[in-house]
Amino acid sequence: MNYMNQEKLEPKRIKELKVSSGVLSAAISPDEKRVVSAAMDGVYLTEIETGESVKLYSHESYASSVEWVSENVLVSAGYDGRIIWFDVANQSEIRNEKAHQFWSWDLAVSADRARLASVTGQYLAGGYKYEPASETEPSLRIYDVSTGSLLHDLPHVPSVQAVTISPDGKRVAAGNLMGEVRVYDLDSGALTHQWTTNDFTSWGIIKSHSYLGGIFAIRFAPDGESVLLAGMGPMRDPMAGNGKQLWQKWSLESEKPILLDQTHDGESGEGLMEALAVDPALPFFVMGGRLRGGDWNAAFFDLNSGNRLHTLKTGFRITDVRFYEQGRRILIAGATGQGKPKDEGAFDPFGRLEIYETFAGSNV
Amino acid sequence: MVITNQCRVSIESLINKMFEMKRSGCGSPEHEIHRRLFLQGSMASASASVASFSGLFSIPAFAESVQKSAKKCILLWLCGAPSQFETWDPKAGTETGGPFGAIPTQIPGVHVSSLMPKCASIMEKLAVIRSMNTEPSEHFQGIDALTRGDTPRPPFTRPILGSVIAQQLGQLDSPVPQFVLLDPCPEGNEFKSFKAGNWAGWLGAEYGPIRAGGDYSIPNLERLDSISDIDHQDREALRKFLSRKYENDQRSESAASFNAAFQRVNGLMSCAPLFDLSQLPEADRDRYGRGAFAQHALQARHLIENGSTFVMVANGMPWDNHVFQHEMHQMLVPELDNVFYQLVSDLEERGMLDDTLVIAMGEFGRTPWLNDARGRDHYPNAWSLAMAGGGIRGGVVHGSTDALGIEVSEGRVDQRNLFATIFSALGIDPYQEYELPGLPTFHRVEGKAAPIKELLV
Repeated sequence: MNYMNQEKLEPKRIKELKVSSGVLSAAISPDEKRVVSAAMDGVYLTEIETGESVKLYSHESYASSVEWVSENVLVSAGYDGRIIWFDVANQSEIRNEKAHQFWSWDLAVSADRARLASVTGQYLAGGYKYEPASETEPSLRIYDVSTGSLLHDLPHVPSVQAVTISPDGKRVAAGNLMGEVRVYDLDSGALTHQWTTNDFTSWGIIKSHSYLGGIFAIRFAPDGESVLLAGMGPMRDPMAGNGKQLWQKWSLESEKPILLDQTHDGESGEGLMEALAVDPALPFFVMGGRLRGGDWNAAFFDLNSGNRLHTLKTGFRITDVRFYEQGRRILIAGATGQGKPKDEGAFDPFGRLEIYETFAGSNV
Repeated sequence: MVITNQCRVSIESLINKMFEMKRSGCGSPEHEIHRRLFLQGSMASASASVASFSGLFSIPAFAESVQKSAKKCILLWLCGAPSQFETWDPKAGTETGGPFGAIPTQIPGVHVSSLMPKCASIMEKLAVIRSMNTEPSEHFQGIDALTRGDTPRPPFTRPILGSVIAQQLGQLDSPVPQFVLLDPCPEGNEFKSFKAGNWAGWLGAEYGPIRAGGDYSIPNLERLDSISDIDHQDREALRKFLSRKYENDQRSESAASFNAAFQRVNGLMSCAPLFDLSQLPEADRDRYGRGAFAQHALQARHLIENGSTFVMVANGMPWDNHVFQHEMHQMLVPELDNVFYQLVSDLEERGMLDDTLVIAMGEFGRTPWLNDARGRDHYPNAWSLAMAGGGIRGGVVHGSTDALGIEVSEGRVDQRNLFATIFSALGIDPYQEYELPGLPTFHRVEGKAAPIKELLV
C-alpha cells in the first residue's frame, strides 16, 4: 500500500522497554521523550532513551488509564474509582477525585486537554441469563480538566469499558459489555446516538451464562462522523477468549448509526482486541490485543477501504496503542504473563512498552 | 430419620432372611451382592418406607420434626474453580493480590476480599479452610476428586458426595427427590463430561441426582387433564404390580432400575411445584438476586425445607477465568457473597442451620500469578473454601498460606480430610467399609484421613 510521498508502511521496532507490572494504558509525553504508564501497581514514568523507569505514585488498586494534560501534568484513573492529577515536574499530586464507587475502566481526554471522560460500572446479574443490572451510579462522568469540576453525569448500562472524545471535542462516545454504544453531545450532555451491535457480545453458552465480551476500545475517525469499535467476535469458548479479532466502523451521519465496515473475511485471527489508535496524519488505524489463534496481535488497517495493511506479532498482550503527535511512530503497551516468582520471591517485570517507526521501509 | 432400635432389629432380621434367599438363588454375578452392602442399601430403603412422604408428612407436627432433625446439605458447586485471592484468602497490596482490597470481618484479624462484604458480616457463622492442597490440576480430575472425595480407584466408581448423603440420610421412598442437581447450563466442557458420568457409583443409580434448572426444567410433569386423579393412581398401582412381579420373577436389575425410574417420575409429578421458580415469593427472588445461580440457591433452600436431603447448585463452569480473571470475578463473587449470606441467614432464621450444611467450593484454586490474558490458571497447591451450619463450627478459619498465597504454610487439608470433616459433621461414619466382589475393601474415606477437628461442633 502506498501513502503520501509514496512511503511504504513497514513498522519496525526501535525500542523495547519494561515496566515492573502489567501496563493497562500508556501515553507519550508532549516532548516525546517520556512515556507514562498506568500499571497494576502504580503509575510509572519511563525515559525512552535510557529505559530508566520510576514509580510516580499509586492508586489504591490497578491504575487503568493515563493521559498527559500539559507539558508536565498527567491525569490517571484507576480501579479504585479515583482520578488523580499529578505534576511530574514537582512530583506532587494536584487533585484526587473519587469519580466512581466502582472501577474507572477507561478515561479519555479531549484534544484541547479541556475535558476528560471516565467510565465505570460493575456488571451484576439483572436476570436469569445474566442480563446486566441497571446502573447504580452514573456510568459516564465528564470533568473539567483545569478545575476538576464535574460537568455531566451521563447514563449507560454497566459495565462501560471504553470511552473516547471526538477530535473536535464536541462528542463523547462510550461502549459497554453488551455491545451498546451511546454518543453524547459534550456541551449539552444530550444523547445523540444510541445503538447496539451484537457482533461483539457472546453469551457463555458453553461454560456458563455469564458474559465476557463487548466493546473494549472505541475511537472517533478524524472527521468525527464515524466511530471505530474493537473487541472480539462470537466465541465458542468464552473462557478461552477465542473469538474473531474484530473491529467495526459505524457512521454517525444519520440519526440511526449505520455499520460501514468491519474486519474483512480472512484478515483476522482469534483474540480479544482492546486497543485502537487512529493515525493523526494519514488514513489508517491500528488495532491490538491478545493473540489467541492466528499470527498477529496488532494490525494496521486502511481507514477508508478497511483493508489490512500490515501485521505485528508482539509476543505480549497489547492493552494500548498510541500514535506520536505527528504520526510516523507508535507506542504499543501491554503485558506478558506474570510468571512465577524467582527464588527470592521477586517477580520479573512483565509490563511492556515498545516503540515502532511506522515507515521504516524503503521509499518506493 | 426416626426409627426405633426394636424396629431396626426386626428389619435387619428380615433382611438377613432375604439375603439368605438371595444367596441360594441362581448365583450369577448380577446377584452376588455382598451382605454388608446389601444391608446398607436395604436398611435405607426399609427406613425410608417407614417414613414415606405420604405417610409421615401427612401429620404436620411429625413432618416438621423429621424435617428439622435430619441433617441435610446444600453444595454451592463453584465449577471451574474460583480464585482464593478474590474470595477467602485475599493478599491485597501484594504482587499476587489482584485489584481488589481486603476487608475486615466479624472475627478480629480475619479479612476477606472486598467483594464479600455480606459474608464478612456473618463470619462468626462461617468456617473457612484456607489450606486446601490437592493434586488434580485439570477440571475433570479435580471435579471427580472434590465431589467424590478421592481420586479414582477403578474398576468401581466412588459415589459422589450427594449420592452418599442421599443414601445415608435421605428417604428413598420420598416423592421429593433426595439428591437434586440444579444447573441451567446444558454444556460446560469438562463439567459436561463429568455430568454424563456415573454419579452414584457403587451405590446404584437410584442415588443419582434429579437434574433441573434452566434448559433442564423437568418436562411433562403435569398430569393430563384427560386422566383423573383416581385413574392415575389406578394406572400406577397396576404398573407397579406388574413390573414388581416381572422384577421378582425374572430377578432382573434392569426391571428394578426401570421401576426406580418410574417411582421417581411418579414422585416428581407430585412435587413438581417445588421445581417451579415462579412459585417462590418475588421478594425472596429479589433478595437472592436474579441470576440463575442465585435463583437456584433459593430453590435449593426450598427443596431442603420440603424434604430433599442434598441439593447441588451449579451454573456451568463460570469460574474458569483464564481470561480476565478480575473482570469476571467482579461479577461472580458478589453474587456468591449474597447467595451464601442469604442461605445461611434464611436457614438460621428457620431454625434449620444447625442441621443443614452449606458448602461453597470448586475443584481447585487459581494461580497466584496472572497469565498474559490477565487470567489466573488452575492451582491445586493452595486454595480455599467455606462452609456453614450442619455440624460445622462457625467463626473458624483453618490453615493459612504464605504471604503471596503460593504455598500452604499451616494446616494442610486434602480432599480426604475435607470429606472426613463433612461426613463427621453430618453424623455419617467417614470410615465405613464397602466390600465389593473381588476387590480390596473400600472405605468411605480412605486412609483413615482425619477430619478437621476444630471445624466440628
